[in-house]
Amino acid sequence: MSTSVLIELLAASVRIATPLLLVALGGVLSENAGTFAVGLEGMMLMGAFGGAVSTFVLKNVVAGLVASVICGAAIAAVVAVATAKFRADQMVTGLAVNILAFGLTSFLLRGLFGGRAPVIALPTLGPLAVPYLSRVPIAGQVLFQQPALTYAAFLLTIPIHFFLFKTRAGLTLRAVGENPVAAFSVGTNPVSVRMAATIAGGGLAGVGGAVLSLQEIGTFTDGMTNGRGFIALAAIIVGRWMPFRVMLGCLLFGAASAIALNIQDWGLPVSSYIIQMTPYLIALAVLCGVGRATRMPAAIGKPFTRS
Amino acid sequence: MFASKPKGAEPVTAFDKAAPSAEYPWSLLSGPKVWRTVLAPALAVALAFAVTALPIAISGKNPVLAYWALLRGAVGSIDAIAFALNKSTPYVLAGVGVAMCFRSKVINIGSEGQIAVGGVAASWIALSFSYLPSPILIVTALLAAGVAGAVWAGIAAVIRLKRGVHEVLGTLMLNFVGTLFVSEVLHGPMGEIGAGFPQSPLFSQAAWLPSLFPGANLHMGIAVAVVAVFVCHLLLWHTPFGFRLRVLGSSRNAAAYAGVSFARAVLEVMLIAGALAGTAGGIEVLGVHYRLIQGFSQGFGFNAVAIALLAGLNPIAVLPAGLFFGFLEAGALSMQREMGVPSSLVFVIQGLTMVFVLCSMGIGLKQQRV
Amino acid sequence: MSATLEMRGICKRYGSVRANRHIDLTVPRGRIVGLLGENGSGKTTLMKVLFGMVRADAGTITFKGKELRDHTPRDAIAAGIGMIHQQFMLVDAMTVAENVMLGWARAGKWLRTGEISQLIRNASATYGLELEPDAVVGELPFGHRQRVEIVKAILRGADLLVLDEPTSNLSPPEVAGLLGVMRRLREEGRSVIFISHKLGEVLEICDGVIVLRDGEVTGSCQARNATRAQLARMMIGRDIARASPPAEQTPGPELMNVQGISMRDRSGFERLHQVTFTLREGEILAVAGVDGNGQEELVEVLAGLKKQTQGRIMLGTRDITVASAKARLKAGLAYIPVDRVNTSLVQGLSIEDNLGLRDFELSPLRRGPWLDRRAFRQQAVLRIAQFGIHCGGPDLAAETLSGGNQQKIVVAREIGRRPRVLIAFQPTLGLDPGATQFVVDQILALRDAGGAVLYISAELEEVLMLGDRIGVLYNGRLSGIVRRHEADVTKIGLLMAGIEEAAA
Repeated sequence: MSTSVLIELLAASVRIATPLLLVALGGVLSENAGTFAVGLEGMMLMGAFGGAVSTFVLKNVVAGLVASVICGAAIAAVVAVATAKFRADQMVTGLAVNILAFGLTSFLLRGLFGGRAPVIALPTLGPLAVPYLSRVPIAGQVLFQQPALTYAAFLLTIPIHFFLFKTRAGLTLRAVGENPVAAFSVGTNPVSVRMAATIAGGGLAGVGGAVLSLQEIGTFTDGMTNGRGFIALAAIIVGRWMPFRVMLGCLLFGAASAIALNIQDWGLPVSSYIIQMTPYLIALAVLCGVGRATRMPAAIGKPFTRS
Repeated sequence: MFASKPKGAEPVTAFDKAAPSAEYPWSLLSGPKVWRTVLAPALAVALAFAVTALPIAISGKNPVLAYWALLRGAVGSIDAIAFALNKSTPYVLAGVGVAMCFRSKVINIGSEGQIAVGGVAASWIALSFSYLPSPILIVTALLAAGVAGAVWAGIAAVIRLKRGVHEVLGTLMLNFVGTLFVSEVLHGPMGEIGAGFPQSPLFSQAAWLPSLFPGANLHMGIAVAVVAVFVCHLLLWHTPFGFRLRVLGSSRNAAAYAGVSFARAVLEVMLIAGALAGTAGGIEVLGVHYRLIQGFSQGFGFNAVAIALLAGLNPIAVLPAGLFFGFLEAGALSMQREMGVPSSLVFVIQGLTMVFVLCSMGIGLKQQRV
Repeated sequence: MSATLEMRGICKRYGSVRANRHIDLTVPRGRIVGLLGENGSGKTTLMKVLFGMVRADAGTITFKGKELRDHTPRDAIAAGIGMIHQQFMLVDAMTVAENVMLGWARAGKWLRTGEISQLIRNASATYGLELEPDAVVGELPFGHRQRVEIVKAILRGADLLVLDEPTSNLSPPEVAGLLGVMRRLREEGRSVIFISHKLGEVLEICDGVIVLRDGEVTGSCQARNATRAQLARMMIGRDIARASPPAEQTPGPELMNVQGISMRDRSGFERLHQVTFTLREGEILAVAGVDGNGQEELVEVLAGLKKQTQGRIMLGTRDITVASAKARLKAGLAYIPVDRVNTSLVQGLSIEDNLGLRDFELSPLRRGPWLDRRAFRQQAVLRIAQFGIHCGGPDLAAETLSGGNQQKIVVAREIGRRPRVLIAFQPTLGLDPGATQFVVDQILALRDAGGAVLYISAELEEVLMLGDRIGVLYNGRLSGIVRRHEADVTKIGLLMAGIEEAAA
């Protein structure tokens, strides 16, 4: 395999990992506060839809991004209210929201643009070369000739990490996910914290969806997220709920997808469908390797009740 | 007389036994029975329809007319009913398996993958042994489908028990792998050369599921589904296996006290659910499509969950719940044809129904302090 | 010097129960006051009143010269009262420093970890706490976790610390460590209320001792003036000659032999130490002891639900040391757990199903691959009649029944099978007098018919009443097994409080 192919592969990995990363970071917020982020798929899809449609209609990418945040957060609000206020089961509510998002986006797409399967075409956001750095051999091509949103996504890891581990608000959020009673005993309201984290996470996931529809694919189609939300969930587990490690996990899955996309060019006698399976198989393998969900936020999945 | 002070008549404040209930609040068995089994689901459905009227209205159509078209499309004619019943069959089968799983707090969302591999197995038998007499061919194919589904679910169960991989993620990943597996075999050994669409060759008539009533388009799969529902009901209420599930689903402590093995119960219930879903896959290929086609298993996994919830995890109630979903989808297709309201609306209704049912279950949890 | 804390005439009643009756409590500055009493004596309620979690019906609280009235826990903390609960409010996954910073405005918006860590180190040095700010709380031994709670209170400026049964889960060296910390607190001019049922420790560390029983102060003295016997009497002394004890009967041959049972829990803490006893046909061995001294572990080990680290259990001629719970059940060992909600009953199942909860895999309830529902129904009808369970029918859910009737289901199931040995763990907890009487009668009937019973309760009255032989469980050790007529209440009280020698 020549160097240039390798470089392209790595660059593709970074690019493909971008939506995963945004979604996973959203999930990191939510899960660290104690809410299972099973609904990420739906939040991402809503964001993809909101972003694509708004950009198409308003001819403005920024508007699209804002819309994606709102869409993702809106559907996350459903999860937040149901699980934190009504104490509905988190896992299944997440699944319900995924179904809801699928139906809603699919319906609205047709409702707004008519026709049976409308295709809105958008120019994909192109790469933005960082001056000087992009000339660095290898690393320059891999890391610094990426689209703008990719830079944003990877840079976002830093403030999220800081928030969670260096601020008191982040400390409180993590405490709510580990031992809400302890947080309650020092005056926090775990219910509000969980809701806020879930909704914020949904907004982030929405942006991830927008990256998918605006940057990678260039349109919106039914159910286009195709399980990426769950891959992001796997990345969260692999990354032990910590932003930088989750980023590495997303890169891993991005690489798997990149290989899958390019392997036909290498003429290997492996069916493309088998290749498409690899991200999921890798996710399974990694999960098995990680073993008993070590150090999951201790109170995740358990609604808080003021007995 | 022997006098004893009533112990601890103290009010429980937030600082008291302040630990949130250690048990997964999966207490589907709490709350007054009528609310749980009839009123709450009915209310959830009604609310879902009401809320969904909004997007319909926004898109410029009249919700009342749309729902009327839905209704007519579902039950307006014998053909419509037959179509709807066919659609309901895999829902009921997968749903009752999922209901059993949820009862033991095993969150199995892998029906889609189990249906997929079930379909592959049944197709393989149908194509490879088409010389067998029809009844034997069909039964063998369905059995193979059930086994394949059971194995698929079993994988998720094993990695759950051995490696602690949560069954939600395990079954989910296997869904994707299973669906891709269908595509894989359709582009290889079982594909039909020259077809424009990834599908297998048409099965010989010997493999087609016979219809229940001559002339109607209703295949016998619905009979299998009904039988499965009753069998599961029997299992749950009249066998030690079902007893174990019911105890395990309530409390791990009580299960240990009662001598119920967690691992054994999880494995058993997953195998059964997988077998049911696999059989549903076999029924789909043998009775609806008469071939294996790409994407035939799409969406069944989450629907099965929704149906199980709507049925309050009661096998018998899965029948009306599954029928509801089947009729809903049949009607939605018709609604799309007639009024141009996209059939994907049905997912909105399903999703909303699930959310509302889940909320009602959450509300129904009593503050359990004795 | 005015006292730091003065509580006068505190009264609190819950319905018909008077948890606190005109209690006076004074804590001088820089002194350690011991609050002694067993379960239900009212000490917990008193502390809840002090901390603002519960409002007293009458009485005044003066802290550092200011009256505390209608206050919340936040007010109490702000005034300078620190409460170290028995159940810690700590986040195991976080470090000591993070736990201290949680909810503390002083830590700043951007965590001033360095500054807080230094404060922790200083306090740790001053008070001998040995805490490293970067240590993960979950990895700390129990005793050190407690110290995190203490340092939290100290750093927030507590002048009075209330320690509620702090030594329940501490090993002897850890206890010594804690007492050392308390001494340093005293030297630094802070006051401590030390709530305990352990006489030895109280006498060792406290300046003053106040004894509560049944909601009243039964004694108040300086520790150096008190004798152990006196204090024990004040703590548990009561008229026991109220009801007539069951008739004496000669016990039969030995039925169960338990040798040297020791058990360490997951964190390595020894919960049971060389527990040895025998049970004979037709006798009740009643074991007294304050909650948390190994009772739960003992009954679970005997029932087969937890594993012991050493020891042997014989049932008749059969060695059941490694037998499963099911096998033990089959061999004739019945078990009534203390928890009706989550363990001995499945609330959502019907009464009929609950009556078959432990036997559903055996005939007659099971026939081949099926459950014989008629057998279930027959058994249910029989038991309901035999044991007088008040219910609308055997198919109603167990949760529809009152607590007393729910316990009747458990008793009916466990005793109805005519076991050879019954292990009963606080079977009358939370029951009204009528239901309590019923349970006691059933257990006595079993004993009269030749069964052997191990009866563990925190209610000393019950133990003294029911036991043909009586023992005390303290710190995982079973001691002082004597026949009822030889039982000396004072001695039992001393054993319950951890004093081994019958010293005056």
